[in-house]
Amino acid sequence: MILLGVISAALMYGVAVFPVDRYLPEASTVSLPIDWIFKFCAFFSVPILVYVNGLMLYFVVRYRHRPDEPMDAVGSPIHESRLLETVWTVIPALLLIALAVVSYLVIPLYYPTGQAAASAVTMEAIGHKFYFEFRYPGLTQSVMNEMHLPVGVPVTLDITSAEETTDVATGAVIHGFWIPEFRLKQDMIPGMVVPIHFTPREIGTFRIVCSEFCGLGHSHMWGTVVVQSKPDFDRWYAQQVQAGRSAAAGVAPINLAAGNAAAGQALFAAKCTLCHNAAPFAQRKVGPGLANLFHDPAHPRLVTGKPATPDNVVDILEHGAHGDMGVMPNMQANGLTAKDIANLVAYLKTLH
Amino acid sequence: MNEQSAPVGTVASHVGGHIHPPPDSFVKKYIFSLDHKVIAVQYFITGGLFFILAGLLAELMRAQLMGPNNHVLSVETYNEAYSVHGSAMVWLVIIPLLTGGFGNLVMPLQIGARDVAFPWLNMLSFWLFPPAGILLFASFLFGAPQAGWTEYPPISLQMPFGTSLWCLAIFLIGVSATITGLNFLVTIVKMRAPGMTYTRMPLFVWATGTTALLSMIATANLSAALAGLFIERTFGVPFYNVARGGAPVLWQHVFWFYSHPAVYIMILPAFGIVSEIIPTFVRRPIFGYKMIAYSSAAIGLLSFMVWAHHMFTSGLAHWEQLLFMALTMAIAIPTGIKIFSWVATLWGGKIRLDTPLLFVLGFLSTFTFGGITGIMLASVPADIHEHGTYFVVAHLHYVLFGGSVFGIFAGLYYWWPKMTGRLLDERLGKIHFWLMFTAFNATFLPMHWIGLLGMPRRVATYDPVYAGTNEFVSISAFVLGFSFLIFLYNALRSARHGEIAGPNPWGARTLEWMIPSPAPYYNFKDIPIVLSGPYEYGAPLPYANIRQDLATVPVH
Repeated sequence: MILLGVISAALMYGVAVFPVDRYLPEASTVSLPIDWIFKFCAFFSVPILVYVNGLMLYFVVRYRHRPDEPMDAVGSPIHESRLLETVWTVIPALLLIALAVVSYLVIPLYYPTGQAAASAVTMEAIGHKFYFEFRYPGLTQSVMNEMHLPVGVPVTLDITSAEETTDVATGAVIHGFWIPEFRLKQDMIPGMVVPIHFTPREIGTFRIVCSEFCGLGHSHMWGTVVVQSKPDFDRWYAQQVQAGRSAAAGVAPINLAAGNAAAGQALFAAKCTLCHNAAPFAQRKVGPGLANLFHDPAHPRLVTGKPATPDNVVDILEHGAHGDMGVMPNMQANGLTAKDIANLVAYLKTLH
Repeated sequence: MNEQSAPVGTVASHVGGHIHPPPDSFVKKYIFSLDHKVIAVQYFITGGLFFILAGLLAELMRAQLMGPNNHVLSVETYNEAYSVHGSAMVWLVIIPLLTGGFGNLVMPLQIGARDVAFPWLNMLSFWLFPPAGILLFASFLFGAPQAGWTEYPPISLQMPFGTSLWCLAIFLIGVSATITGLNFLVTIVKMRAPGMTYTRMPLFVWATGTTALLSMIATANLSAALAGLFIERTFGVPFYNVARGGAPVLWQHVFWFYSHPAVYIMILPAFGIVSEIIPTFVRRPIFGYKMIAYSSAAIGLLSFMVWAHHMFTSGLAHWEQLLFMALTMAIAIPTGIKIFSWVATLWGGKIRLDTPLLFVLGFLSTFTFGGITGIMLASVPADIHEHGTYFVVAHLHYVLFGGSVFGIFAGLYYWWPKMTGRLLDERLGKIHFWLMFTAFNATFLPMHWIGLLGMPRRVATYDPVYAGTNEFVSISAFVLGFSFLIFLYNALRSARHGEIAGPNPWGARTLEWMIPSPAPYYNFKDIPIVLSGPYEYGAPLPYANIRQDLATVPVH
């Protein structure tokens, strides 16, 4: 019993001083109490695990039926002990009540209520197949997949999921919005808007992971959150405002002739290969393989129903498309410029 | 003959001299049999085949996850593999083996009955099971379901025809489980041998009775959810599609209103198996019989009030989160009572470390761990981080594999002689245990860690930072798969070379060991009379009307 006590104490000490931050940064304010709750559970679980396993092993060795004992030897006739049973009912119950109370105190920290929420900046996060869209107050266009936040500023994020179609086959599905380094997660559910509240506390770039299965692109549905100092964030925001203005003023026409196949190849690898292979049509990942795009007798038409010509491909790259394999995001979602599209088409032409 | 106390309790309705002769045609004896023991074997064989198929799917998944960007399976096939793996393990393996297999084999014998209350319904229950399995695996031909065993809409509305087959398959298995639940409950309430009061029932019967009640009540909700999904997929009536006025979260509520009780449908019979094996091999009364029995009932009741703890990230109101967190934590208390009582039973025993007890000790170790991660998942703020990650995958395998499957193997080693008349080889059994126990922990323990670090579940490719851990997990999973081959070899080998068991090889005291092995066609020539509880080691056997020559056979 004493040995088990020593082992428990050593492990409990280990739990208490374990540097979580070194393995997974605690990058939002709510990550601290959430990790504390986890440690609280682990701290009191250690003695339970050590004593259950340790006593089990000890009893098996100590009370093993020995060869010199009679075959019909039986063990102690004790049926129950009111005291022991009370102890192992009451102690876990008290620990669980403590855990429930602590949890109760932490829940309001990430759901917006009262003063804190009122002073926070409210943004929207919208799940799509298979990317995240962010809407900032004061920006006319959305930001795709890369969310920028100023450090130390409270944020309320309205979370939902949507697609531009009401068609069942390609309509909105449930995604999960998870920033592991913030310890925050909220399902993105079509038809529901759920706000969560947090304050980034570390500068850095962190992952946004989709945590609910959403279709063929689920494994690749990743975004990033860039937490910046206030001046850096303001600079980024000013650029976005500028980009919004020029978008409103009209996009420059696409000059296909100026396309550069080598640049297009690099772009393809960076932007398209999550969903498309440079391989025959049938070797699809999420969307079709694109190697024979302009020369495939089995597929003379694009998903839009139009012939597979460079101009029609440009149309899909610019505006996106809905098909039976899912959704092709538009140029904004993919972060492509007019020049990028020309380069991509030039590259696709070289594939056979 | 012992006549010290007057029998009390229910008298089986058909007690009497008339015993039908066993059927003589092969079909009536082995295929469309009404005999609960034959039906149990049918469940074991069918469930075992599905266990192999679903296990192979798991090995395929681990082959794909061996590297961060493998192409062993296409993304679609990978999604299909984990969805069918999960569905098959839950509905075609664990539930049928524990309820249909062990429930049928053991429960009527333990209460001193000659069969279940409705043998024909029992046959029907079984024969709904193979078609359900065939439908589920046939879905691969039409684009199998991809949205996991939970099949959340709207994504499950957008999948090919195989998902409709999945609905039908699970609907069928649900009907089978409901009928079995009704049948077993009536059997336990009405057909106990004279003198077997509720507090003299073996604990496996308590567990099976509670499970039967849960199956009977909860499964109807699953059927409702499935009917909705099937109708929406086939005829477009909007239950879950928000664009046409449905609600996706509706599915989650109704599905989990079944599937949380189903977690206990999958673990309570394993608790029962553990409660039988421990006193037998420890040679002393189980510690706290009443607390263990009543905690089964408490778990059964509470299991209906915790379903929304699967939905803490689904936008529940805050009061709902608090309510379901508190109720979920409450269910840990009766579960803890069981674990502590089992460990306390080991104290002061005369322990024989045979294979069934080894698997039970493995169960205690892994299930306790799974229970503790369950408490971590019950706390809403901690769950916000852990939900939908490999932490959950690890937790559920610790309770369903470390709990239910270890319980199934403990029960197989224990009751194999009662089923076949022969013992399984002890040496092979011990090798099987140690390999399975080690490989199990090596497979699922690291998953907690990568889940907490940020790896979501249900992905075919992943961030290369998790590559090393995943490679280790995959190799362990292959070893784990291999360990079952040892059992398979042991089982086949026992048919010819297994030691002849005799009626009571373990020296147990419950009624199934008071008759020859394998059990004769009508179980009990005379219905036994029960005079006290089943675990009084050292006291004279508490039964009258049994064949004393069988009951007093010395232990091996």
